Amino acid sequence: MDILNKTVEEVASIARSGEVSVKEIAEQTINAIKQKDSKIKAFVHIDFDAVIKRSEELDAKKDKSGVLFGVPVAIKDNMNMKDTETTAGSKILSGYISPYDATVVEKLKNAGALIVGKTNMDEFAMGSSTENSAFFNTHNPVKPEYVPGGSSGGSAAAVKANEAIASLGSDTGGSIREPAAFCGVTGLKPTYGRVSRYGLIAFASSLDQIGPFGKTVKDTAIMLNAIAGFDPRDETSVQTEKEDFTELLGKDIKGKKIGVIKEVRDFELQEEVKNSFNDTVKALQNAGAIIEEVSIPHLKYALPVYYIIAPAEASANLARFDGVRYGLKVEGKDLRETYEKTRTEGFGTEVKRRILIGTFTLSAGYYDAYYLKASKVRRLISNDFEKAFSKVDALILPTTSTTAFKLGSITNPLQMYMNDIFTIPISLAGLPAISIPSGKDKKGLPIGMQLVGKWLAEKELLQIAYAVEQELGGKNGI
Amino acid sequence: MDLKKYEKLAALNLSEEEEKRISKDLTDIINYFEILKEVNTDNVEPLVYTKGAKLFMRKDEKQKSLNKESLKKNRELFNGNFYKVKKIIGD
Amino acid sequence: MEYKPTIGLEIHVQLATKTKIFCGCSTEFGAEPNTNVCPVCLGLPGALPVLNEKVVEYGTKLGLALNMHINKTSTFYRKNYFYPDLPKGYQITQYSIPIASEGFLEVKTSKSKKKIRILRGHIEEDSGKSIHTGDITESEYSYIDFNRSGVPLMEIVTYPDIETAEEAYEFLVLLRKTVRYLGVSSGDMEKGALRCDVNISVSKGETLGTKVEIKNLNSFRSVRRALEFEINRQIETLKKGGKIVQETRHLDERTGETKPMRTKEELNDYRYFPEPDLPPLILTDEYIEKIKETIPELPNEKEERFVKEYGISEDYAHEITASIEVAEYFEEAAKLTGKPKEVSNYLMVNIMKFINENGKNIKEITFGAKEFKELLDLIDSKTISKNIAKSVLEESLSSGKTPSQIVEEKGLKQITDTGEIEKVIDEVIKENPKPVSQYLNGKKQVMGFLIGQIMKKTKGKANPKIASKILIEKLNALK
Repeated sequence: MDILNKTVEEVASIARSGEVSVKEIAEQTINAIKQKDSKIKAFVHIDFDAVIKRSEELDAKKDKSGVLFGVPVAIKDNMNMKDTETTAGSKILSGYISPYDATVVEKLKNAGALIVGKTNMDEFAMGSSTENSAFFNTHNPVKPEYVPGGSSGGSAAAVKANEAIASLGSDTGGSIREPAAFCGVTGLKPTYGRVSRYGLIAFASSLDQIGPFGKTVKDTAIMLNAIAGFDPRDETSVQTEKEDFTELLGKDIKGKKIGVIKEVRDFELQEEVKNSFNDTVKALQNAGAIIEEVSIPHLKYALPVYYIIAPAEASANLARFDGVRYGLKVEGKDLRETYEKTRTEGFGTEVKRRILIGTFTLSAGYYDAYYLKASKVRRLISNDFEKAFSKVDALILPTTSTTAFKLGSITNPLQMYMNDIFTIPISLAGLPAISIPSGKDKKGLPIGMQLVGKWLAEKELLQIAYAVEQELGGKNGI
Repeated sequence: MDLKKYEKLAALNLSEEEEKRISKDLTDIINYFEILKEVNTDNVEPLVYTKGAKLFMRKDEKQKSLNKESLKKNRELFNGNFYKVKKIIGD
Repeated sequence: MEYKPTIGLEIHVQLATKTKIFCGCSTEFGAEPNTNVCPVCLGLPGALPVLNEKVVEYGTKLGLALNMHINKTSTFYRKNYFYPDLPKGYQITQYSIPIASEGFLEVKTSKSKKKIRILRGHIEEDSGKSIHTGDITESEYSYIDFNRSGVPLMEIVTYPDIETAEEAYEFLVLLRKTVRYLGVSSGDMEKGALRCDVNISVSKGETLGTKVEIKNLNSFRSVRRALEFEINRQIETLKKGGKIVQETRHLDERTGETKPMRTKEELNDYRYFPEPDLPPLILTDEYIEKIKETIPELPNEKEERFVKEYGISEDYAHEITASIEVAEYFEEAAKLTGKPKEVSNYLMVNIMKFINENGKNIKEITFGAKEFKELLDLIDSKTISKNIAKSVLEESLSSGKTPSQIVEEKGLKQITDTGEIEKVIDEVIKENPKPVSQYLNGKKQVMGFLIGQIMKKTKGKANPKIASKILIEKLNALK
């Protein structure tokens, strides 16, 4: 039985019944990776012996009730996993063996998941194509000469290529949604604070959020069930009651109000993306939803706001990489030189660029004009969404304005930043959003549509996304 | 933009070539930020903590610290005890 | 016009919690290096801070005790700079709104009482410790221990209200007393639980002079010496027409001189910004009120009350209240005996001497209020003289026996039987014809000698009043 083209729910039920042992699942997964990953390059650290060992442990377990029992899950390399190399796609962390598990890793283990390995990413999650990985490029499984998107490109590609059933990524300004759209899988960025960040290597602390990739909306909902929840180790995690995110899947969405953002029209969209957007809106209407126009007047300021706030936070978050306690150390003639050599050699160009932007926007004399100003505009953007959500239950907009681009084709950083123009505003407001496959362009590259939910309303968001998915023709198959 | 100054603050020391490349990008990016000047933010509270952020406090109770072996996997400890760095004060 | 010094203090008070400010590692002093560390305080990637409630409690308590306003909302910031003992490359501290602001302490100097205003008190994390082998400038390596990284501190910043080294010294002494009364810090400077930086300038008239910072002062004496030296140095420099350089200096403990620190010229731009990992700290009125109720009587209040209520001298009251344990000891004994003056005397002269010489704590001695009462009763009933009482007290302190036990065992009971005393006096008169005749010739000073002889013969047990009365009678009878 080919396990890898099945859904999370299917695999867990097969594994639970013992029809196929977890070890067999592990072996199939390893074979798939061995076969495909030399071309896709989704994984950056993988230890096959450890995977087999974990599968045997799972097989030996009496309690097989975990929601992810036996399900092969890949995780982005910015999540700490005890006794394994955790590098966040950076040379500066090469060789770093984490002494602890991130909360999500703990939760995956508790849910019975078979963690298969760490996936490639843009260095410290800074990028939209995974080309900023210090190690190698990841290829889009749909068309290998195209990027998989980023920064969670490896996690999206692993699911698309059937090298894992589901995966975890992290999203700061679109790093789950954009690669989901580019690879043609489903990617969910939960509400900020829904999933613990403890053990996630920080890029921009006020924006980072872990979320799942899956083949279907339901897969991401089950994954969210496994990883969500208040964590006393993360002061920014929201104190919520336990919820079942699959609860509303399949319930009809008749009468739900879905907002179309007026200002999105100001941006140029690839023709096929525009058509796919219209098709999706129609699908929503077919399912009984009511479409309304809403306005996010400050939408166009989201990108500059993001590129001030995220680098500012990053400049501090990345200061700990000084070569003293772990990772790369390049000795100089004195300590100062050791710092500089370590950091200059250890960080890639985009990371250095963002550290320098952040250092500048926080520096004396510029703080008010940049960091503080951006934080105020962030408030206005958040208020815009609040206002929109007083009228509608969810928003719909394209995940990206274009489909995936060719590896190496974008070299200008500002042009690269534009890829996240539709995902960033939602991140700034801390809202949950999901990207689902909605079609393909002429070249056969996937298109993704983004649905945005109310604060902490993942259940309802997933319900609507599920309805759209059904209307559009089901799992992954567009 | 005085790139050298920010390199110093960020403990970076770029090569001339890299400086040239990054310098132009940074100028473009910072110019792009100018668009924010259009926005009236009088009497607007900055947003740092998104909705629902509520500080909670832990009890003053000991938790397990890391064992030395896990530290040593990542860095040799001088005398088995100390992190060793080149002297702090340069000449 | 005279030059006038302007001095401000920045004092780091280590809060006496069991665990660190943002993680559950122990704050124990002197543990094996790098054993009280975890992903959080070692700055491992992905770790996040979680605030210790005890730090907030202690910070609030100290703020209130320093007459400060507690801010119901305060925020945490990141202070960014590179230093090898700062594992995250930033320190989590409070910046725009600290937990406490605007307070004062009233200090007493030999000359006056003075209010020193306090600008702010904020909570923050300590850094690790760099250990240098040999001279700081000569060693090639530094060695770092992160056990101290994340230990909670409250930084107290004063206004530049201080004008003399003595005021600075007294401020620190009172602050230490206060933290010890509250139990929020050990206040031990030698263990780094209290660390002081000073800012000082001198000027004539209104415009302030150039500010010099003196860092790393690690004892009360150092603060005083450094300031005395620096005030003098600045005045002398200006008098000679020189200029004060804005710089950071340190105290050379051997010579008592302050010297410029040989630091490399570093850019100072800390790029403070709100710590996104920690939402604002919000305290309710009820919480603040509850903490207020736990604040004990503070050193200055206690001192004043002791003078008023027990009539003891201001000096003694000041010294007794230096430690809350001593103050409590005094009060208990004073109440039980009803003789606070006597208690304060014996306490400050004999008991404190014993404690200091034997390196003991007042809590460790067996001579308590009950024993005090016994001793004073023995004097009252004229069973022993005050002289004997002192040796009984000393004996009791070192042996742990009760005063009456000692009097009993050593036969120290005072002789009040006049017959017995008369017999001894007759002997003394007979054995000392020369002093006796001197007395009869009007040289009254020899009385002391003769009493001494009586005491010698009775081993000090003769009641001195009775003895001297009989002696005078007998001598007068010889005239």
